[in-house]
Amino acid sequence: MRQHVVLDKKDFGDFIKKLARLQKVVAPVRRGMKNYAFEEVKSAENITLKYIPTILPPKKYFMPQAEKLIEYGVKENKWEAVLEYEKLIIFGVHTCDLAGIQCLNMVFTDKPKDINYIVRKNRVAIIGFECNEYCDEYASCKVMNNHFPNGGYDLFFTDLGGYFMVHINTLLGESFVEETGLFKKPGENNFKELEALRAEKRRIFKDEVDVKHEGLKPLFGRSFASKIWEDLDKRCVACGNCTNVCPTCYCFDVSDDIDLDLNAGARSRKWDSCQNEDFAKVAGGESFREERANRQRHRYMRKFNYPIEKYSRYFCTGCGRCSRTCMAGIKLKETINSLAKDGK
Amino acid sequence: MKKPRVAFFDFTCCEGCQLQVANFGEDLLDILNRIDVVTFREVMSEKSDKYDIAIVEGSITTEHDVERIKKIRETAKILIAYGSCATIGGVNGMKNKFDLAEIKNYVYRNGAKYFETAETRPLHQVVKVDYSVNGCPVYRPEFVKVLKAVLAGIPYHVPDYAVCGECKLNENECMYDKGITCLGPITKAGCNSWCVNNGNICYGCRGMVTNPARDGEAEILRKYNIPLDWIVNKMDMYNKPRELEKQEKKP
Repeated sequence: MRQHVVLDKKDFGDFIKKLARLQKVVAPVRRGMKNYAFEEVKSAENITLKYIPTILPPKKYFMPQAEKLIEYGVKENKWEAVLEYEKLIIFGVHTCDLAGIQCLNMVFTDKPKDINYIVRKNRVAIIGFECNEYCDEYASCKVMNNHFPNGGYDLFFTDLGGYFMVHINTLLGESFVEETGLFKKPGENNFKELEALRAEKRRIFKDEVDVKHEGLKPLFGRSFASKIWEDLDKRCVACGNCTNVCPTCYCFDVSDDIDLDLNAGARSRKWDSCQNEDFAKVAGGESFREERANRQRHRYMRKFNYPIEKYSRYFCTGCGRCSRTCMAGIKLKETINSLAKDGK
Repeated sequence: MKKPRVAFFDFTCCEGCQLQVANFGEDLLDILNRIDVVTFREVMSEKSDKYDIAIVEGSITTEHDVERIKKIRETAKILIAYGSCATIGGVNGMKNKFDLAEIKNYVYRNGAKYFETAETRPLHQVVKVDYSVNGCPVYRPEFVKVLKAVLAGIPYHVPDYAVCGECKLNENECMYDKGITCLGPITKAGCNSWCVNNGNICYGCRGMVTNPARDGEAEILRKYNIPLDWIVNKMDMYNKPRELEKQEKKP
């Protein structure tokens, strides 16, 4: 199997067209003035290659916002598992979002395995896309070690001016290369240019916070009682934006929806948020995390502390979405720096 | 299962929420398979004083209204507050901003002496309400959800988080990013961010979340350089009667 191939920019339009003929293709598309979203595309004209992270990460294709799990009939006492999926190619996934999908894969393939997720994931092809520079000031991909490709894709595109250098990572990726028939063998020069870009990136991308990668877990481990959470309590409006846009937040709520005749219905799961007022509310009306400070702390701990113990991996990808979308301007980088300062 | 007898009533309102029922189209047939509508002034001539479920639109704005809603409450096994006017007072609540006698004279001029008026109140400030369908107008899919809960005899929980949550799931560009003030951050979700999906702002018609973040809101206003008065004014368009909430706690 070849490792690298080259696609001329002039053939990019043809590539997308041919890809879209094979199956449904989604890619980053402009949404309003400053935003982007993954949407179905039929041609390359709709795709924005230079984009800041989309409003929702590609996780929406792996665990939809609302997903039917079971259909039931009351009279017949019948239950049937439901699996809704489609074959899909996601084009243009940044390295931060590739990391996000890797995190979700760990969670949903861990016991108990989530069959719906796994079946759907196996039908989604991923074509990554390299960031040659920072998207904006909210990103912290360097300190999270996600600014370079680190697997989790079928093909990976790097824009090198007049052409794309494409890394083939899987047989599925290779089949796209074969079937579209537009790719060329790279020359020595192409590899040199790729290396030059990577060297330049090593120069541009610097740790975005005052803490080193390895220092984040210990920092959060000793920050449970920090006063910084009180500051977040005052600012947070508990809208849940930060968790909804997070590529690694996977909490959901399960509810039944019965038909009007009260005989048949469906059980489905919807994205839930630990920031919501009633997320940790239990029977009797008590809430385990009544204060917004506790809820914000919980969100951060679920990214920088707990998952390291369980999965040996940070669940923050450094995409910056939570900071970008926060109504009240709570910024992840600031929180980390404040905690570091507070702990000194 | 016997179909429950359902009566629609309206108090101070535009009757637009009831119109939403008439607008259901074919789905209305499914609903009518499950309930027996016995009174519905807007769409039928027949009426009856015998009903199990009262669906009440409008707010309470006169003493006569108080008597009437109490009678409805006595008759109905289930009372559903239907639409913004019934659940939070709605647009009619703006009256509460003024001296009552003064505003009555302003509206009715020479005829003012023929009218009585009282502070605008949502239904739950006067009688016990079993279910609420928020919104101006009501969001039809939510009305169906509430109706199913009533038929199944289970509670319906109005989401108690901000509209922003649903808006984000719909991947709308944030109004604040466009430089437009929106009440999404303090308004109860449940409408699937209906207005914002269609290019409009959130007007707060579903009422305020129970635990809004005062300091957080102030922070947002500072960030976007919006005077507090603007937000209060916008919120008062639908939510003025919330100020009467505490004194109405007595049985």
